[in-house]
Amino acid sequence: MQQHIQWLTDRMAGWSAQTCLIWNDGETTYGDILERVNFWRNFLEEHQVAPGEMVTLDGDYSPATVSLLLALIDRGAIVVPLTKAAEVHRDEFLEIAQVESIISVDEYDFWSFKRTGRRADHPLILTLRQRGEPGLVLFSSGSTGKSKAALHNFTHLLEKFKTPRQQMRTITFLLLDHIGGINTLLYTLSNGGVVISIQERDPEIVCRAIARHRAEMLPTSPTFLNLMLMSHAYERYDLSSLKLITYGTEVMPESTLTRLHELFPNVKLQQTYGLSELGILRSKSKDSGSLWVKVGGEGYETKVVDGILWIKAHSAMLGYLNAPSPFDAEGWFNTNDMVEVDGEYIRILGRKSEIINVGGQKVYPAEVESVLLQMNNVADAVVLGEPHPLTGNIVTARVNLVQPEPAAAFRQRLRAFCRERLASFKVPAKIEIVDTEQFNARYKRVRR
Amino acid sequence: METVTQTLDRQVVVNLILAALQDVLASMADEVVTPDENTRLIGRSAVLDSMGLVTLIVEVEQRLEADHDLVVVLADDRAMSQTRSPFLSVGTLADYVMQLAAEQG
Repeated sequence: MQQHIQWLTDRMAGWSAQTCLIWNDGETTYGDILERVNFWRNFLEEHQVAPGEMVTLDGDYSPATVSLLLALIDRGAIVVPLTKAAEVHRDEFLEIAQVESIISVDEYDFWSFKRTGRRADHPLILTLRQRGEPGLVLFSSGSTGKSKAALHNFTHLLEKFKTPRQQMRTITFLLLDHIGGINTLLYTLSNGGVVISIQERDPEIVCRAIARHRAEMLPTSPTFLNLMLMSHAYERYDLSSLKLITYGTEVMPESTLTRLHELFPNVKLQQTYGLSELGILRSKSKDSGSLWVKVGGEGYETKVVDGILWIKAHSAMLGYLNAPSPFDAEGWFNTNDMVEVDGEYIRILGRKSEIINVGGQKVYPAEVESVLLQMNNVADAVVLGEPHPLTGNIVTARVNLVQPEPAAAFRQRLRAFCRERLASFKVPAKIEIVDTEQFNARYKRVRR
Repeated sequence: METVTQTLDRQVVVNLILAALQDVLASMADEVVTPDENTRLIGRSAVLDSMGLVTLIVEVEQRLEADHDLVVVLADDRAMSQTRSPFLSVGTLADYVMQLAAEQG
């Protein structure tokens, strides 16, 4: 039998009496999880799931899902995690990843197994099979066009978790089919922490889980943090156990960070940076109130060319299953993230594709959104560009209000507010009040 | 059902544009002017810069839609290629709105 995670299961065995996972408010110990890993090892053997097989794992952070993921890695399978957030693309993703079998775990932690009848034959998959190593397929968010399937060698992704780090009671906010979710889970398990699973990802439920289970770490997105601030859910629960909030996946509006830092002066606020293609880099924010961050660490090299961040990673994916290799001849990857540089620190400004060119001048949506979020009665704001014959593009703001307000008067108020804080070409020319949520299932703002 | 031409009077459009212009000018807070039909929107004596003009055009489009259910695109290739620019003054913009409304009849 393959033993790809021997080091991890050995470590976990040392914590066998400790809580590993809290799911539906019930606790499962490391010992229980390891027993379940054994159960799944036998299950995979009996069902003849071969090393190198493309297996979709459908589920959230439950005892069955977490132990199955470990057993699949151990068996050398290539895991294609999928969650509810990918529901609309499910068939397309199964096709692209050439999934051969599917194990689904439902909300009661019951599972079902089925074969798709497909035989995977993608050259990259065959390469990984030949090496006899486990794999992971992650889909990029596809904010500009089609989602791309990144195939990773799981052994490379696991390597960094061998270095012992802090033991944390952690809310698993980011989903299991996202690089951030996989990273959170492996970090927690390899350090003897506690995985705190949540049924829904709204502020009320997350704050309740932090209070009830004394969570120390919350890895999340700026959009969620803004929602949490707007909902005042943090006032209704005791969040004093929190030590660290990490945020990533999109640009943090400066105003949200400032407000968060004022409200939680004793919580360390740490920016993270990662990509489906490269994994999560080590990062260090200058301080809790700062958007300046150092990224890189062991296994990563970074450079900035024409304001764009490029990364070379030891643990990079093998390639895409449905697109040409994005790496240049030396192995550098263009992140398409625009950054400012100050010595060792960078500040992320936004996606290159989301820059709005107004009469030849650049506008970054996050800068304008940060201003709008400071206005009274504004709950959320998304800024994007729209073509316009006079200036090439105009800045459009779509705003969610807390209380209804007459539209023309609000537009007037917004322009006056922005005028005092932004250059005139950055002031939204078009202002729309919307009443639908402007973020996706992963709590990331959608600028479309 | 009422047609747009029955409900939309030129003076209503002029007033709508003037109200929008006053709002846009107020948020720019440069100088206080009381605009009228002859107020220039482009050129040397214009009360707006190019960002202000774009904002006004969008504001007028939004008000026409909200107040009169009239959906028009005021700035497009057609508007840009007119021999007499629709954006010369409040009056010419009102004329252009009336023309587009009549076409939708």
